[in-house]
Order: sequence, then structure tokens, then C-alpha cells
Amino acid sequence: MRKTFAAFAAAAILGFLPSIGAQAADYPRKPIEMIVAYGAGGSTDIMARIFAKYAGERLGQRVVVINKPGAGGEIGWTALANAKPDGYTIGLINSPVVEVYPFTRAKTVGYDLKKIKPLVNVVTDPGMIAVSAGSPYKTLKDFLDAVKARPGEVTLSHEGIGGDDHLAALNVQKATGAKFKFVTFNGNAEATVALLGGHIHAFEGNMSEAAAQIKEGKIRGLAIWAAKRQDAVPEVPTGAEQGVNVIAAASRGVAVPAGLPKDVYEKLLAVSREVVADPAFRAELAKLNMPINPMFGDEYQKFLDDSFKTLKAMWDAEPWIKE
Amino acid sequence: MLSALLRVVSPEGLLVLFIGTLAGLIVGALPGLSSTMGVALCIPITFSMPSDMSLVLMGAVYVSSVYGGSITAILLRTPGTDASIATALDGFPLAVAGRSGEALGMSTVASLFGGTLSAIALLVIAPPLAKIALIFGPHEYTILTVFGLVTIVGVVSDNPMKGVITAVAGLLLATVGFDNFTGFRRFTFGNSELFDGVPLLPALIGLFSVSQALNLIVSKDGGILSKEAVLDVAGRILPALPDLKRCFRTLMRSSFIGIIVGILPGAGTSIAAFIAYNEARRHSPTPENFGKGELEGVAAPESANNAVTGGSLIPTLTLGIPGNAVTAVFIGGLTIHGLIPGPKLFTDHAETTYTLIFSLFFANFLFAIIGIIGARWISHVTRIPGAILSPMIIIFSVIGSYALRNSMFDVALVLAFGVAGFFMERWRYPAAPLVIALILGPLLEVNFRRSMEIANWDMTTFFTRPVSVVLCALVLLAIAYPIYEHRKARRRAGSGKASPLGAGRDID
Repeated sequence: MRKTFAAFAAAAILGFLPSIGAQAADYPRKPIEMIVAYGAGGSTDIMARIFAKYAGERLGQRVVVINKPGAGGEIGWTALANAKPDGYTIGLINSPVVEVYPFTRAKTVGYDLKKIKPLVNVVTDPGMIAVSAGSPYKTLKDFLDAVKARPGEVTLSHEGIGGDDHLAALNVQKATGAKFKFVTFNGNAEATVALLGGHIHAFEGNMSEAAAQIKEGKIRGLAIWAAKRQDAVPEVPTGAEQGVNVIAAASRGVAVPAGLPKDVYEKLLAVSREVVADPAFRAELAKLNMPINPMFGDEYQKFLDDSFKTLKAMWDAEPWIKE
Repeated sequence: MLSALLRVVSPEGLLVLFIGTLAGLIVGALPGLSSTMGVALCIPITFSMPSDMSLVLMGAVYVSSVYGGSITAILLRTPGTDASIATALDGFPLAVAGRSGEALGMSTVASLFGGTLSAIALLVIAPPLAKIALIFGPHEYTILTVFGLVTIVGVVSDNPMKGVITAVAGLLLATVGFDNFTGFRRFTFGNSELFDGVPLLPALIGLFSVSQALNLIVSKDGGILSKEAVLDVAGRILPALPDLKRCFRTLMRSSFIGIIVGILPGAGTSIAAFIAYNEARRHSPTPENFGKGELEGVAAPESANNAVTGGSLIPTLTLGIPGNAVTAVFIGGLTIHGLIPGPKLFTDHAETTYTLIFSLFFANFLFAIIGIIGARWISHVTRIPGAILSPMIIIFSVIGSYALRNSMFDVALVLAFGVAGFFMERWRYPAAPLVIALILGPLLEVNFRRSMEIANWDMTTFFTRPVSVVLCALVLLAIAYPIYEHRKARRRAGSGKASPLGAGRDID
């Protein structure tokens, strides 16, 4: 009995040791947890699981997805920011949402952006405006003319106040002087039903979630808020092509808790580069209509910083949540 | 089609089917594990499986978990999922009367009936049925949720006023959380874990399972049922033919309700079960027996909630629109395998899709067989002394609520709801309206506000659309009918006291 206890104690101590000083040479020695701040089966979760599979193969250890959904991602990101920086906890971050909470929820937000160190951006999913196939609006101009003719009467869906779709729509309003009547939904799926059922005039959402219905001819994309046309829906023109200079997207990438030992970070970075370059990985994402947009380390950090500055300026000029 | 059928009956298919069905039964029966969680737990497992087999697994877990919840609802009055709250209303009184075998048998046959009928609907007429999902806009959902609430308050309590009180409490709790329309945090007290509102599962587990465990602790009998009732466990299981004949109309009607409610995104198994229960009671020649151990009161909710399974897959597969939370996870499972829901699923990926649909028939029969064979043994759970059973229930409740989102906050919530549920039980405040209001509250609120956004706050908008008008009439009928019944009963009896709400059924 006593012997068993001693054996257990020794095992426990030995099991604990590696996490004290993680070195790249023997890292990783146990499975890595990957926090996803949204539920299982959502588009962030699906991307995370595919990335985890390819990264795990290269790291020689399983990368296990842990879903910590809640508070629009805040709960998961708080867990990531406050995790031990030993390389055994990494996580997914979603831009722009992860950047806005520190000022839109300044009083209550649980994480500090400085404690989240970006590793690799994987997907940048542009926003778009779409109407149902039977809609009289054939182009962005048709639609905006109708909105301007009847200000505040033409309905446009978004996924919730302060989300990337809402921010995109606000930017379109600013750029064109149009005034939409916003109808709030909890997610693109609900909004798509309302669009197909003719309950709203138009839909502002992410390309990856509308692409399938566009390919089937059920809905028509009027404009995509990206610098260039997208492979998944090549027939949809960009906003800029039609004179509306708006860029809006939701980006999903991998991040780590700040303070990770440099060599561990470098190892994860090297593995990430291999994963996003892997044709099989790219093919899986293409099948899901998720446009790949790799940005690594400092470049990714700069992208997030720039995005933060733009959004903060927007918020300071006119906060979208009034308290 | 034939090759799809062969895939299901292949050794691999049958093995996956069996594992899925068994896992679903356990997930459903245990308090703390919901159908949604069961299917979500499949996703990481299916990652490395062929796409058709992973759909078979998820489908089997889904349908059998909806059935599994009825087992504990009947035997212990701890519904394993929200789908079976209504089943406990008559199932548990039957068990107390020593007819647990019969109740389990009826619930099994009803689940098989509803599940199979909805799978037929999915197989044969999915595309036209899917259009129903599109007819329903924010206006129609608003009135539909009102109808659901009115129905439930009328069903569950011998004192309607108390039902109204707990329903209102549920609606108030449903306002907690982030308001997606304005960005306000409501009643979260700076707590980020309340951001998404009061989570349903801890409320469900606390109010039904933990409170029942507490009941057991304070009860003097030492077991969930009296000694005499337990001894009768070995009674008949398969429903007698006359019983089945009597229930046939109820089974048909409830399955129809389940399929339609299943197609409508947002509404779910629990609502279908309550509407079906209410309709069964309304059409019954002996409505006064409901709530006291009426077999039809088990048949109605169980056929309805299993009919939701096939129904909810109709818009999911044909339009890519999830019929409820479980099928939303389904969509995730489909996309992981590169299957984008929509009409292409029935053309380009027909074999995979039909493999799923055929497997649903098999899963329904499989859980029914396991249920019928197992009923006698499962019934013995009621012989477990309370001193062992109640800690077990509490342990499963705590683990389940923690697993939901890896949060200790939810564990505290479960225990708080458990204590609240215990006292509500003592003071005869029904818990079901609270849980249902917690489910329907957010639906009611967002759809009401959404329709107001569209109509510029013009309330008359609800009377300008045909489907919405019909639903309004149904709401009025649901309120008026019990009053009419009550009056009639009073006239017949010559005397009787007025009910506080005029909603009848409070003759106690």
C-alpha cells in the first residue's frame, strides 16, 4: 500500500516536472490544449480542429481542442490570456472581435490584449452584402439607391451589435451616406432563413457562411468587402469595384499566452508555417469556403494593432453601444 | 439508395449504429448530459471517421438520447433532457402506482412511432416541408412562443396562478445576459459567466434532478418508490393492444405536431412534447386522469419529441438551416467532412445523405429493442436506496453541469437551482413552466424586437400576416378553451369554485 502511494507520488512529481521548464528541445512532451472561444461545430471550431490535426502531426503530440464558449468569446480569451505560458495551452482568436472588448467592455472585460501573443493568422473571411435570388436589386448601386430613396426603411441584417458584420454595415453607411434599417440576428444561419423567407431585404454577413447558398443560386452577393474578388464566389464584385471603399472581414488565427519561452514560440511558429503551406490543409479550408490569409508573428501583431487603432478611433468618434 | 441501405447494414454501419444508440441512451438518461452535448461530443470522434459513418453516429446519438431522457423521467422524475419534462407528468405517477414497466413500454413504442414517422417524412417529403421553415418570420415566431407559453402554464399545474408565477420567474431569468440589440449587459453583475444569460442545462438539472435527490434525502421511505410499487416492477412492458388502439389517434396527432415543430427553427423537443400533451388531454374523454398516471399522457409527449428528430433534420439537410441546437451541431459535423448542407446533399452526396436517413430508421428500432428488453432491469433503479441514489444523481448533475462549458460557476448554479426546486416542490410551484419560459423567453424577446424593428414598433403588424393571424387565434383558443371547459364542468356539477385565472383545472 505504502509502496503504491510512493509510486503514485513519484509519478505525480515526474509528471509535473516537464511543465516547470519547457525547452524547445524536448517540447512538446505532452498533448497541447487549444482553447476555442466558441462552441463545437461552429466555423471557428471547425477551422481550429483542422489546424490542430495538421499541427499535431508535426509536433508529435496531439493538439486537443477545448471549447470554452460564452460572452461572445470573452470567456475563452480570458482563459487563454491567463493560461500558463508553457506552450501547453494555445488558442484561437477572432479579429476584430477580440480587439473591441477591451474598450467596448472596458469595465468588465476579463483579459488584457497584451497578455495574448499572436502566432499565425489562418483565415480572413470578408464581409458581404447579399440579397435573395428573387430580389429586385441586381447590383450594389440598385440596392443603395433604394436605401437612399427610402432612408431607414430598407432592412439589413447583422449578427449583433458591435460584431464584425455590424461594424462593416456602419462603415458602409459612413462611406455612402445610406441609412439602413438594422434587424438584429443571433448568427448568420438565422439571418439567412429570414432572407430566404423574404422577411428582410438584405443580409450583411461573412462570405464563408453565404457561399454555399450563393453557389446554389438561392441568394445573390451584391458586394464583397475585400481588396480583391474571392475564389469561392468569383462572380461577386468587390465594394471598391462599385465605388464603395470598405474593407471588412473576420479573421481567425492562433495565439499563445504572452511570456512564452522564445524557443517554444519559435518552434510553434515554424510548425504553423509548415501547416498553412501544406496543400492538403489548404484544400480542406478551400472546401469550406474559408479564404486562407497567412500572417505570422510580428506581421500578425501589426495587423491586429492597426485594426485595433481603426476600431478604437471609430468607437471614440461614435460609440455603437451607448450607456 | 440501395447502396446507402447496404452501408447501414454493413458490419461497420451496424457497429457504429449500436454504439451510437447505446451512447445516446446513456446521454439521454443521465441528468446533466443533453442531446446537444451528446452530438457535440461526437464531433471530435467523427473527425477521423468516413463521413457517412460519422453521420450515422451523430444521428443515432440524437434520436436515442431524445428517447433515453424518458427513462429517468418515468422512473425517478428526473428528466434526462428537456425533451422529457412533459413525460414525467404522467410517467412518474404511473411508476408510483407500480406500472413503471407499462409506462416505459408505452414511452418506447411512442418514441419508435414518432421517430419512424418523422424519418419517413424526412425521406419522402423533405423539400416541400422545408418551405414551412421559410414561411415563419419573426412575427410568426413571436406568436408561436406565446402559444407555447400559454399551453404550458395550462398543462402543468393544478393551480394555474402558480404556473403563471413560475413562468414569469422564468421569463425574468431569461432577460439576464448580453443584449445583442443594444450591447447592454443585463443583470450580469459584472460576471462574465452570466453574459450569455442563465444557461438552460444547469436550471434543468437543478430544478428536476438535484431537487429530486434532495427529496430523497429527506423522505422517510428510503427509496424513490414505496415498497409495494417496487415489487410490481415485473409487470407487463409492451403495451396491450386495446391500449395501443386507444392511443393511436394521440400517437398520430403528436407525431404530426412533433414533425411541424421540429421543422421550425428554434422551437424544440420540449415545446413539441408539451403542445402534444395538451392536445392529447383536450381530446381525451377523461382529461381529469392526466397528471395522475394516464398512459396517453406518456404516449403524447414521447411520440412528439421523437418526431422532432426527423423534423428538425428536414430544414437542416435541405436548406442548411438548423431546426434546433442539436442540428446546429449537426451542420458543424457535416461541414467538417466537407458536406455543405443544401439540395446538393441529395444529389452530389446522395449516398452519404441517404445512409444517414436510413440509419435513423434502424436507430429508432434499435433503441426500442434495447428499451423493451432492458425495461425490466432498468426499472430496478427504483430499488436503489435513496442513500445511494441521491448522491449518484447529484454527482452526475455536478459533472454534467461542469462539462457543459468547463465552468465552476455552472456547478454553483445547479446547486442553487436544486435548492430552489426543492422548495418549489414543497410549496407546490411547478418547475416546468420556469424551464420552458427560460427556453422560450429569449426566442420571444428577440423575435418580438426583431418584428418591431421591421415594423417600426407598430403592434398591429401581427394581424397583417395570414400565418400570424391564425396563430393569434390559436392563442386565444388556448386561453378560452379551458375556461369554457371549466364553466361546463361547473354547470354539470352544479357547483364549484371559481379559478383564480379562470383557466380551470384547479379543483383540488
